[in-house]
Amino acid sequence: MKRRTFISHGMAVGASVSVLGGCQDTASNGPGSASDSSSDATASDGSGPEDAAPAPPTGPYPFHHGVASGDPLPHQVVMWTRVTLPDQDEIPVRVEVARDPSMSTLLHEGVAYARSGNDFTVKHDPSLPDPETTYYFRFRVNGHYSPIGRTRTAPSPSQDQGHLRMAVVSCSNYAYGYFNAYRRIAARPDLDAVIHLGDYIYEYAQGEYGDPDLAQDRALDPPHELVRLDDYRRRYAQYRQDPDLAECHRQHPFICVWDDHEIANDAWREGAENHDPALQGEFQRRKRAAVEAYHEWMPIRSTLPDRELRIYRSFRFGNLLTLMMLDTRLIGRDEQVSAPADARDRERSLIGNDQRRWLFQQLEQSRDRGATWHMIGQQVMLAPLTLAQGPDFPNLPFGGGIKLNYDQWDGYQTSRRALLQRIEAMGLDNTVVLTGDIHSSWAMDVALDPGNPLAYNRFNGDGSLAVEFVTPAVTSPAIEDKAVATSAAGALKLNNRHLKYVDLHHRGYMILDITPERCKTDWFHLETVNERRASEVFGASWFTASGTNHVQEADLPSSPRANPPAFAPESDTADTQKETAS
Amino acid sequence: MSQSRRRFLQQLAATGVAIPTLTACQSGSGDQAASSQPETGADSNDTGNNRNVPPKNEPDNSPAPTESLRFMALGDQGTGGFGQYQVGAAMAAIAREQGSEFVLAAGDNIYEAGTTDPDDPRFLEQFEYPYQNLNIPFYLCLGNHDNGATPLGGGSDNKRGNNQVTYHRSDTRFSNKWRMPERFYRQSFGRTEDGSPFLEIFVVDSNPLTSFYQDHDEDFSWENYGYPQQLWMKEAVRDSRALWKVVITHVPYRSNGSHGNAGNLDEGLRWLFTNPDADGQRYKDFMEECFADQVDLIISGHDHTLQWLKPAPAMGPAHLLVTGAGGKTDTLDDPDRNPSFFQHQEEHGFVWFELSRDAMTLEFHIVDPDEGNRRLGLRRSVTKPLAATALKESVDA
Repeated sequence: MKRRTFISHGMAVGASVSVLGGCQDTASNGPGSASDSSSDATASDGSGPEDAAPAPPTGPYPFHHGVASGDPLPHQVVMWTRVTLPDQDEIPVRVEVARDPSMSTLLHEGVAYARSGNDFTVKHDPSLPDPETTYYFRFRVNGHYSPIGRTRTAPSPSQDQGHLRMAVVSCSNYAYGYFNAYRRIAARPDLDAVIHLGDYIYEYAQGEYGDPDLAQDRALDPPHELVRLDDYRRRYAQYRQDPDLAECHRQHPFICVWDDHEIANDAWREGAENHDPALQGEFQRRKRAAVEAYHEWMPIRSTLPDRELRIYRSFRFGNLLTLMMLDTRLIGRDEQVSAPADARDRERSLIGNDQRRWLFQQLEQSRDRGATWHMIGQQVMLAPLTLAQGPDFPNLPFGGGIKLNYDQWDGYQTSRRALLQRIEAMGLDNTVVLTGDIHSSWAMDVALDPGNPLAYNRFNGDGSLAVEFVTPAVTSPAIEDKAVATSAAGALKLNNRHLKYVDLHHRGYMILDITPERCKTDWFHLETVNERRASEVFGASWFTASGTNHVQEADLPSSPRANPPAFAPESDTADTQKETAS
Repeated sequence: MSQSRRRFLQQLAATGVAIPTLTACQSGSGDQAASSQPETGADSNDTGNNRNVPPKNEPDNSPAPTESLRFMALGDQGTGGFGQYQVGAAMAAIAREQGSEFVLAAGDNIYEAGTTDPDDPRFLEQFEYPYQNLNIPFYLCLGNHDNGATPLGGGSDNKRGNNQVTYHRSDTRFSNKWRMPERFYRQSFGRTEDGSPFLEIFVVDSNPLTSFYQDHDEDFSWENYGYPQQLWMKEAVRDSRALWKVVITHVPYRSNGSHGNAGNLDEGLRWLFTNPDADGQRYKDFMEECFADQVDLIISGHDHTLQWLKPAPAMGPAHLLVTGAGGKTDTLDDPDRNPSFFQHQEEHGFVWFELSRDAMTLEFHIVDPDEGNRRLGLRRSVTKPLAATALKESVDA
């Protein structure tokens, strides 16, 4: 704890970053990347002496939305920025990638384009020499440099991987508070990636779903609800100007999937709770707009233009982890129901046939390639959330207890049964499910029939097939009153035998710490999101030991990785230029 | 069953003379000489100690490629009752008149609760006798009654089905017609010009996947049996180079009969069942994962009617047949549940097939349960389903 507090404290000050980074860097990346020279290097021309000096900056400073990266593969990472320049349809952008934070030796230089058709967002997906390596990158337009970003390739699939660390976040509502969680994650130098489980933006209008006290300081753009393409683009643009989020994107590759609020509340294939066709037009139009803006603004690897709806995809991190990211919203979800019998309707699906088949295939491939952990990153809670929990009777129209939320897998029990039965049939160990959506922290066993003492033993976890970790919101609220939250948590634990840990009050994030022996999750909770303050508390830590398929509590968070790669340096260049330009 | 009768038949079978004697009236088989040795499949598990079975992996030396292949299918036949005899006689007649190289039997081979022993007299009474004039091999799959612990067909005693596999290779079997080398298996027939099989059948053991009551024998759990079968089947179908691919399974993928469609089997009765997979949801996924867009025909039983259903979107171009009227009859529960080409209720019957390189002809033969009279219910030819143009034509029809 002390060491970690010291480090995070140091990060916040900023001056000590380079010192720490300097000494750590020598160990991990070898000489030549001392960060104390970073500001000099970026101030001068970083492209190296052999290159003709680029023209001095002309025109306004074009990078107002930071840089980002995402979807790491062993030799590829998507690099992202946006160019803001008036009166142009197509703007060529220089992309530079280096191994060191000072960008002194470029190993890749490419050209990408910011086009009006993509809202001037830029994606570059260069092929990079080494897996499991931290790279630094920046963009250049008209002699102006973007901030320097840092990213990291995944280990190659066959690599004997000993350790991975990732942050997991969801539900970042700008209007509900400051992105202190993002700031905290940005200050962690040792992460392999950040997993965002959706609700990255919220579609609501000003005043609809936000903290009234922050109505001035966190005013929304556009102030109306998002319906058209331009609305969604503006909202993303606003989020990306948030310094905490921008810093998080700048330091870590993200792996993102959408949940409902990237489109509209409680979205499904052909509609959403928060969509009125009479007033807001055809849902498919809105969906297309939302999906298009998502692909423009998120550092996701977009495949064919007509396949943008398909974002389910998988990542391999050495032989330690296969990460399967699902879409439980748009591609296969049938409309939500509210009656217990309907929730068991065999015709209804949460993820659709194609995605289910893909997922089963991924599980098989993951097992066949010998991956230790099979992780499913998705949006809504897989394990049941019930009152009066009891045994389930699949041949009756009810059973298992009274379900509290039919928007999650509880409302699609055929889909859940298919997934869990497949895990059972495969005899698959070490499935870990990551969940967002619900603005609270949970650790659970996932069993086919958790309410049945003969099928699931709550004391030793026998009968559990997988584990589920639920990440709290970055800002969106759950139960604001701490006392109420505590008693509600107690009641839920009594009613849900498979539920081992729940916190219904705090915002925060999860840190996954994965080794061949265990997959561990540390919850870090924020003291506040009402002001920009980077202080957090350790909330809880639960893990599943390899082969056990149930959760156990740990009393300490995992230690940060020794000798992490250096942060991408603060970009003085960008600031000065911004000022000069204005 | 008297011992002497039994021994007599055994001896007849053993000499090998018995078969032609018993079936001397059956001249039709000579026309089908092109592939009179159907067992060329690589996966036959015969160990070679069976007198009348060719050694496995023997190359097919027939000089000419198969131009067409004729066979029949029935299901739910093993009652030992009058109906089974009538259908058997009708099939023998069709085989004589039109030719048929073998029979596909879609399960419930021995009512009501299978056999408890490979020497069970029911093999004689409910299989050998009724088909004594039909001397062509029967390729059988297992049904719920073959694995039943009780006459209810609950299917909760899968071990019992093993007796039917054992009978296939039993030294004391009464004829060599019974073919069930494994609980699930593949078998190829004939050959095309490039040497690949003309037809390959994939025989599914659906009972452990769908039984009404749960079998607590861990050997038949999904983990130990259902899922390995699924992997095997998926691989087998994709590995097969056969021109025609046909699936035989007891429980229908789709049916307008009383059991209904996989995914929602026995809707009204299910509350009585203990097996969480009794709805066939998992079985439906099994079928789609293994066979969607991979096979031409899926032949099933379980419902005691005759149905020729149109292809289902999730399964691709395969035509779906229910042929469970081989020994029992029933009504069609909901004739509009799935679109059909033909369906018939309350009478016995079976289906005769002729496959050519690019088309199939199906004849539905109806056998009146009172008099045993045979009549043609439907004869129809369609293009081969697994071909680019096939689906369109069959759906248009």
